[in-house]
Order: sequence, then structure tokens, then C-alpha cells
Amino acid sequence: MLEPFQLPFVQRALVELLLLAVLAGTLGCWIVLRGLAFPAHAAAAAAFPGLVLADGLGFAAPLGGFGAALLFALAVGRLAARERSGHDTLTALVLVAALAAGIVLASDVFHSAASVESLLFGSLLAIGPGDVRLAAAAALVVLAATWVLGARWLAAGFDPSAARALGVRSPLPDTLLLVLVALGAVAVLSAVGALLATALLVVPAATTRLFSDRVVPWQLATVVLAAAEGTFGVWLAVKLNAPPGATIAVIAGAVFALVAAGRALAPRATEATA
Amino acid sequence: MTALLEAGGLAVGYGGPPVLTDVSFRLEPGERIAVLGPNGGGKTTLFRALLGELGPSTGTLSVSGRCASVPQTERSRLDFPVSALDVALMGTIPGRPWWRRPSRADRAAARAALARVDLADRAERTYGELSGGQRQRVLIARALVQDAGVLLLDEPFTGLDATSAARLEALLAELAGEGRGVLIATHDLEQARRWDRVLCVNGRQVAFGEPDEVLTPEALAATYGGAIVTLPPTHPDPTAPHRVILPPHHHHHGPAR
Repeated sequence: MLEPFQLPFVQRALVELLLLAVLAGTLGCWIVLRGLAFPAHAAAAAAFPGLVLADGLGFAAPLGGFGAALLFALAVGRLAARERSGHDTLTALVLVAALAAGIVLASDVFHSAASVESLLFGSLLAIGPGDVRLAAAAALVVLAATWVLGARWLAAGFDPSAARALGVRSPLPDTLLLVLVALGAVAVLSAVGALLATALLVVPAATTRLFSDRVVPWQLATVVLAAAEGTFGVWLAVKLNAPPGATIAVIAGAVFALVAAGRALAPRATEATA
Repeated sequence: MTALLEAGGLAVGYGGPPVLTDVSFRLEPGERIAVLGPNGGGKTTLFRALLGELGPSTGTLSVSGRCASVPQTERSRLDFPVSALDVALMGTIPGRPWWRRPSRADRAAARAALARVDLADRAERTYGELSGGQRQRVLIARALVQDAGVLLLDEPFTGLDATSAARLEALLAELAGEGRGVLIATHDLEQARRWDRVLCVNGRQVAFGEPDEVLTPEALAATYGGAIVTLPPTHPDPTAPHRVILPPHHHHHGPAR
């Protein structure tokens, strides 16, 4: 039953996932709360051509991915902050352009098409110590930033117009949140890939959001849920010989659907406990 | 006595031509000023200028002490995972450097402000589950935590039932009694009549003064573009004709200009 967890590469995948659960549980709640789910997905997609470039030109892949994701997250975040209509359209356009550019670069410029699948869908069972270190560092940064800036992120999301009047005028905290979204997107790439990043960054937080009414319990619940989904996903992937990133994404999606359906079918019960 | 607010020939805008001009008024400690005007008439712009978000394009504006805004409760996210105490605590943010977390004193101040608006027993309740009047009072508590001498309320009575409205009005009277200044954007002329001063704006300042001087049919016509009707004297005071403004509230939720 538990024999998959005795394999060294499975153990390393598990450590990576538990670190990412801390990252995703904490950051994911801010992403969901501040309506950054689509930008987070697109930032991960934007990291894809950055990874291909880094691979082809021979510099550190996370650096290339982070550069591209950061550029994108800041540009989109600024547009979203100004409430320009159509910024989601622009996000979608850049998302498609980034994927297309990555594919073309990989297949026709650098001839590294073999790695495209792992860049897009992750290669959790083949990660290296560098990936684990990146996940640990990103998780620490997100925890520290939440500790310091959480109150401001909350106030700015609660009512943006009054937040300005409250003296939360500096755009710095919100800009830092976008930087963290880019960092988070790059940190989860090796596990679930550019296209499935939201399976860790958004879906667990969106699931626990359905029954959370305070930020800190919500974040704790999300860390636990993401860790559980990841652990079960790795085990199932090894048992079924399925791709682990996609397995985790399917599990996360299924759990969300079940919880949402449960909420929809039992509105009276939730009202009674509210 | 020094005025809490004093504007002289103030004009404000958003970079282009000013959207509100000729604003000259004083707010003394203990006064409640009703700010009347159509939507888009410049009430929000005036508030943003008083909060220091917009600089005067011409004229002068002096603010002594701190202005705090009390927005409409629908502008805040009712599905947000925050308690009433969390919202009141947001008022402590301007008082501390960005790297500092709320201290025990901040929490005590937030609790005291909630007690001040009679919501001490609701501190741990989820904000979105409170009634409209309670939410409005939580936002007032948030302003009190900022130690604001001037409160700017944006149509605080919208959507409140009679009991909640009476309770809120009593609270505003108490706050004014403590020497604060209160500016209240409203559409209710009968309410404005009960307060100390009335400021009418419609792209420019139409009138400012005591309610009896200002609330004339001519000034109201200039303020609302003639969209005033006089209802038969039935409600709320059977002896007086009840003037109302048409069309009623259209709340625009985008960036108000």
C-alpha cells in the first residue's frame, strides 16, 4: 500500500509537494481573495517561453521563467489595478502568445521539443535538489510577506477606494503581491508545469474558500488540503503509472467539484452553522 | 475657534478641466453638514479632495486634523473573510509603519471603537453577515480608530430601515457633540434640514449655509436641475409638504468623476 513512498524519487517529490503546499496554501488564498486567479494562470504560462529560452541559451531555467512571469504579472497587475476594462482579454492574448512563442522556440529554434511536455505539465518524479530549494525559498518568502503585509493586502481588497483614504496609498504591497504570484508560478512549474500551475496555486484555495470565513484558518485549511491532494496524487500516479502533475490537477478539480456540489445541495445546513 | 475644514474658491478635477468649482465653506467642530447634489455633481470629488487624494487645481483648502471616509457599505466586499474587528483594525494601518503588524494597543483601540458604536458584542461576527446599519457603524468605528476629527459619510442612510437610520443619526449627533465635524452626502432633504449646515453642489457650489436659508426651491432647482417634486402632505410629517428628488439614487460603482 505505502511502498511507492519508499522510492527515493517519490520521497523527493513528496517533500517538494509539502513545501509547495505551504506556498500554495498561503499565496493561493491571496490570489483567490484579490481576484488574481487568471493572471496567476497566465503568469505561469508566460514563464514557459522564458524556460525554453533559458534552456536554449544555457542559463538557469528558473531565472528565465521568473523573468518572463514577472514581466507579465506586473504588466497585467497594473492594468487590473486601474480597472481598465478588457485587461482580462489582454491577459488571454498574452497567455496564448506566450504558449505559441514557447512552442515555436522549443521546436524550431532550440530543437528541444522533447522537454516541452515536462515544461507544460511538470515532471514531479524527476525533480532535482534545486527545485526543492526553490520551493522552500519561495514558501519562506511568501510566509514572511504574509506575516508583514497580510493586513494591507486584506484592507486593499476589502474596499479599494477606502484603502486609498486609509493611507494604503503606496502601490508597493500590491506590486509585491504580483511579484510573489510570479515567484509562486515559477516555483510550482517543476511539479505541475506551466499549464497546470493553478491546480496548486488556485484550486485548493478556491475549494477551502467555500467554507472559510477568516483568512488565517482559510490559509491553514488550504495548506492541509493542498498537501493531502498532492500526497494522494503522487501515490495514485505511481500506482497507476500516470503523469503526477495531471493526476494532482484531476484530484484537486474533483475535490473542488464535490465540495461545491455539497455546498449547493445543503444550503440549509451551512446557514445553520454560519 | 479654528475650523476643521476651510475651502476658499476651491476647484478640483482629474487633470482635465475641474469637475467641481467655486467651493467655499467652513466646517466648525461639532457641526454636521449635509452635502446635497445629483450623482456626478461632484460630491465624491469633493470628498476625495478633502481626503487629500486630489489636489486643488485652484483655490485653497485647509484641513486641520485627519479626515476619514465612511464609504457606502455595498462598496466593500460582503463576501470577504473578515470580522467586524478585522475591519475596525484596518483603521490602525495609517498609524504604523508598513512593516509593523497590529499591536495589542491597536486591537484595544479597534475594540474600543466598536464599543463606541455599540457593537462590542458583534466584534467577532463576520462583517458580511451584519445588517446594513451595523455594517455602516463598523465603518464608522474604522474611521474613529483613525482618530479622525472629520468624518466623510457617503450616503450612509441608503438602504437602512427606519430603526437603523434613527440609530445612525443619533450616533452622528453624538460624534458631533464630541467636537468632531461630520460631512454627510445625502439625498434626503428632510434629514438635511435637521443638521447644522447644507452644502449644495452641482459641478460648482450652488449654496452653503443654514438649512432654512439654503433649502429654497430655487437653490434646489439649481442643484438638481429642476428634478424636484412636491408630494402631497402625508408622510412623514402630515402637516408639511414632503419634497423629494427625482430621479432617485443611481449609484455608479466605477471610478466616480
